[in-house]
Amino acid sequence: MRWGIYIHIPFCRQKCFYCDFPSFAGRENRMEAYTNALCREISAQGTFIGSRQEPAATVYIGGGTPTMLSMSELTAIVCALRKAFPIAVDAEFTMEANPGTVGAGELKELRELGINRLSFGVQSFDDALLRRIGRVHTAAQALEAVENAQIAGFKNLSLDLMYGLPGQTLGQLENSVETAFSLGIQHISIYGLQLEEGTVFARQRDMGRLVLPSEETAEAMYDYMTVSLPQHGYMRYEISNFALPGFESRHNLGYWQDVPYLGLGAAAHSYTGEQRLANITDIDSYIQLLAAQKSPALEEEKITRKIAMEEFAFLALRTTQGIDKKAFETKFGCPLASVYREAIHRMQEKGLLEEKQNHVHLTRLGMKYGNIVFEEFML
Amino acid sequence: MNAIMKNSICKQFAGGREEAMQTKYIRNFSIIAHIDHGKSTLADRLIEYTGTLSKREMEAQVLDNMDLERERGITIKAQTVRLSYKGEDGEFYELNLIDTPGHVDFHYEVSRSLAACEGALLVVDATQGVEAQTLANVYMALEHDLEIIPVINKIDLPSADPERVRKEIEDVIGLDASTAIMASAKTGEGIKEILDAVVARIPAPKGSDEEPLQALIFDSYFDSYKGAIAHIRVMDGYIKKGMQLRMMATGKFFEVTDVGCFGPAPINVELLGTGEVGFVAGSLKNVKDVRVGDTVTTAENPALQALPGYRGVTPMVYCGLYPVDSADYENLKDALEKLQLNDASLVFEPETSMALGFGCRCGFLGLLHMDVMQERLEREYNLKLITTAPSVIYHVHKTDGEMLTIDNPSKLPPATEIASMEEPFVKATVIVPNDYVGAVMEISQNKRGEFKSMDYLDVNRVMIIYHIPLSEIIYDYFDKLKSATRGYASLDYELADYQEAKLVKLDILLNGEPVDALSTIVHADNAAARGRMLAAKLKEIIPQQMFEIPIQAAMGNKIVARENVRAMRKDVLAKCYGGDITRKRKLLEKQKEGKKRMKAVGSVEVPQEAFMAILKVD
Repeated sequence: MRWGIYIHIPFCRQKCFYCDFPSFAGRENRMEAYTNALCREISAQGTFIGSRQEPAATVYIGGGTPTMLSMSELTAIVCALRKAFPIAVDAEFTMEANPGTVGAGELKELRELGINRLSFGVQSFDDALLRRIGRVHTAAQALEAVENAQIAGFKNLSLDLMYGLPGQTLGQLENSVETAFSLGIQHISIYGLQLEEGTVFARQRDMGRLVLPSEETAEAMYDYMTVSLPQHGYMRYEISNFALPGFESRHNLGYWQDVPYLGLGAAAHSYTGEQRLANITDIDSYIQLLAAQKSPALEEEKITRKIAMEEFAFLALRTTQGIDKKAFETKFGCPLASVYREAIHRMQEKGLLEEKQNHVHLTRLGMKYGNIVFEEFML
Repeated sequence: MNAIMKNSICKQFAGGREEAMQTKYIRNFSIIAHIDHGKSTLADRLIEYTGTLSKREMEAQVLDNMDLERERGITIKAQTVRLSYKGEDGEFYELNLIDTPGHVDFHYEVSRSLAACEGALLVVDATQGVEAQTLANVYMALEHDLEIIPVINKIDLPSADPERVRKEIEDVIGLDASTAIMASAKTGEGIKEILDAVVARIPAPKGSDEEPLQALIFDSYFDSYKGAIAHIRVMDGYIKKGMQLRMMATGKFFEVTDVGCFGPAPINVELLGTGEVGFVAGSLKNVKDVRVGDTVTTAENPALQALPGYRGVTPMVYCGLYPVDSADYENLKDALEKLQLNDASLVFEPETSMALGFGCRCGFLGLLHMDVMQERLEREYNLKLITTAPSVIYHVHKTDGEMLTIDNPSKLPPATEIASMEEPFVKATVIVPNDYVGAVMEISQNKRGEFKSMDYLDVNRVMIIYHIPLSEIIYDYFDKLKSATRGYASLDYELADYQEAKLVKLDILLNGEPVDALSTIVHADNAAARGRMLAAKLKEIIPQQMFEIPIQAAMGNKIVARENVRAMRKDVLAKCYGGDITRKRKLLEKQKEGKKRMKAVGSVEVPQEAFMAILKVD
């Protein structure tokens, strides 16, 4: 059975203003201890499941900012990983990297470690906007990072771009997207700003200091991207992900396609197929638990049949391909229609869903109103 | 029921007693008090002091009561309890405390409870003074010729001013308060004095065991084993198990299977004699057969006349109740039938709305009654409901001479067929500190009230009486009074009459389609303003959807207001951090939970609260 590995590195130089992910700034003094703890968890998990599994098909080191760690720390992690788990020779091995945190030499070393895909958190190529959202790098640094990565031999690069940011105009976004097209990258993720509680933006909003583009402008940005990316060869394969054919992120697709994954590191999530687990978020608690040879995992919940069906459906619907009817029937022993006939019908009537011979998938409009459709698939 | 308690009560009241208590040792009384003036605490103290229940037993019993009553701090169903008290003269007295519902909705029920008594404790908070509802109930008690014992409660509080309150009782009610008892239900002070005063001052019941049976029903409830049970006060004659009885108003015959008293849990006794208070159960399947105010007599030797004061059920407000999920319609009907078993004042009939589908039109004694029923349906029967805005009952005189009573705005005939309309008016009594007189008048005037009188209760408290449409009261009159008087205003009202008024139907159109369940009947002078406010309010309530939704308010064909709910541009959660699917699912679950409160009206999803929005304008 196909499976993947996710590794979480919860450190950042500065917290971005929109970010509510489990990552922390100003904790550099814990990086070494964290690396040790993480390696411990890796080898413990490897002992537990290593021999019983086929090689991992994907590895994804995310964060936070993995490139906050020193090269020796990153090397230690990758080595521990290779020692603990069989990793497929053709595995997709991704690492997130922030421009301004990696130089040419380091990129070369990463490539040599076997990492074959980089995902750069670029967000925009407008310096003023980057400052406004709390990014620590400039547009020039992003361009440099991409170029260095290509020189280092990376042939599978992805950029994150954001839209709907405070002060952002459609023109600015177009410029950033055009810049991205000129770089010869293989994959682009687009994320609309969402205001999350506890972020700098949420506080600015409460103080009346956050002016966002109008809903119409944000929609125009979305429309522009969903049209122009495919025109430039980046085909949409998931609500917010676009890739040149053959460069879809296999790891991220796994999340939507019911593929099990093992999460390692603080706040990392795992899915066994029957159970979802989450590691403890607090860095120090994580380090202490592993020092005491205890598991950092907390069971999130048992996946009941109802939950399993819901998740199977709404996760698959995020992909362009949609729900694979046969896969649903194989997994649950009953046809998709026996559970979701009415929901499918209602959503078809609204023009949000399309049913084909083997699949049910979102329409173009449905991609835009995904939540309305997903909710219908909650039992 | 707790076995120990049962034994002790049985010993006190039933043990070996073959005959009825002599009436001279019986005292029947109730407690009149405003909400929060300490009625329940006082009742608890009386129960405790007389040893009827220990503190622990009492808590256990109190817990059995409806959650809603405890949450809201009000009594919805009357509680009755028999206390045994050794008087100053060394004799044992049977004291029946008949608790009364403490809300303006239950006027009639209060009057029947008072009719079952010879006396009442008038409990007034020493820090507050006489309130409107207290006043209304005292007057009612005086009409029934009850002996009233003033009790000034909460004298332990630092802000207590018993002398001012004593004077107020004398000035306002005209009672001699020189013998008022100073008490604190909290500390127990004055409890013995109260019990002694009940024995000494409240007259023993009149009547005779020899006369044909006349027993007054003052409350009823439904027991799943015994059926409908009547709370009664025997006026003449006696009731024993096995007797054949008849309800004089409903004509229902039944055989007595159980007769008993309240301790406060029901305890079977041999018989209930003249002057006694208790319950009677028989082959009564339906609470409708047990009407509050009805007279119970024997089948064999019936009384010549029923006791005075019986009145059928007369709902004051109506609203539509619709299941959010149409599949729940049968469940709603079942639930209403079950609630009706315990509450004969609840009336309902099936109705259909173009917008909401199948539902029930329900009549209630008042807004609180409506609220309580709605909450019980949702909590106890797990129904998700849409409630339409409450309506009063209008008298519609058609041009062809026919008179219709309309309790649902959507049933109003076209304006061309209406010659005139009348609406119910109430006499509203408001008591406030005199600083707020201006505020009360302004609000009442705006609510189309007609000023009747104003009297000073003391140097700084004023009683103001308005003649005002009931429909305005059920909107937000009391809320407005409360906020304009910082909560000091107390309100009581009773139905006065029907008067002609210039009334029109205000319709709401969503997406160009009229929504019958949003129609209201309003006064013509306010219609346009109400329409504008209602449309604006609906705009706030109705969430953005995939398309723009025009909201229009209309009188006949004339559009008086228009608002737009803008289209939602997009709705999709993009980012998914490192495989955290659970968080995503929780968001969707929350979203779905919100949707459960919505009803699809045509293509528009309308939240439940939209149908009550009319109550929240102004």
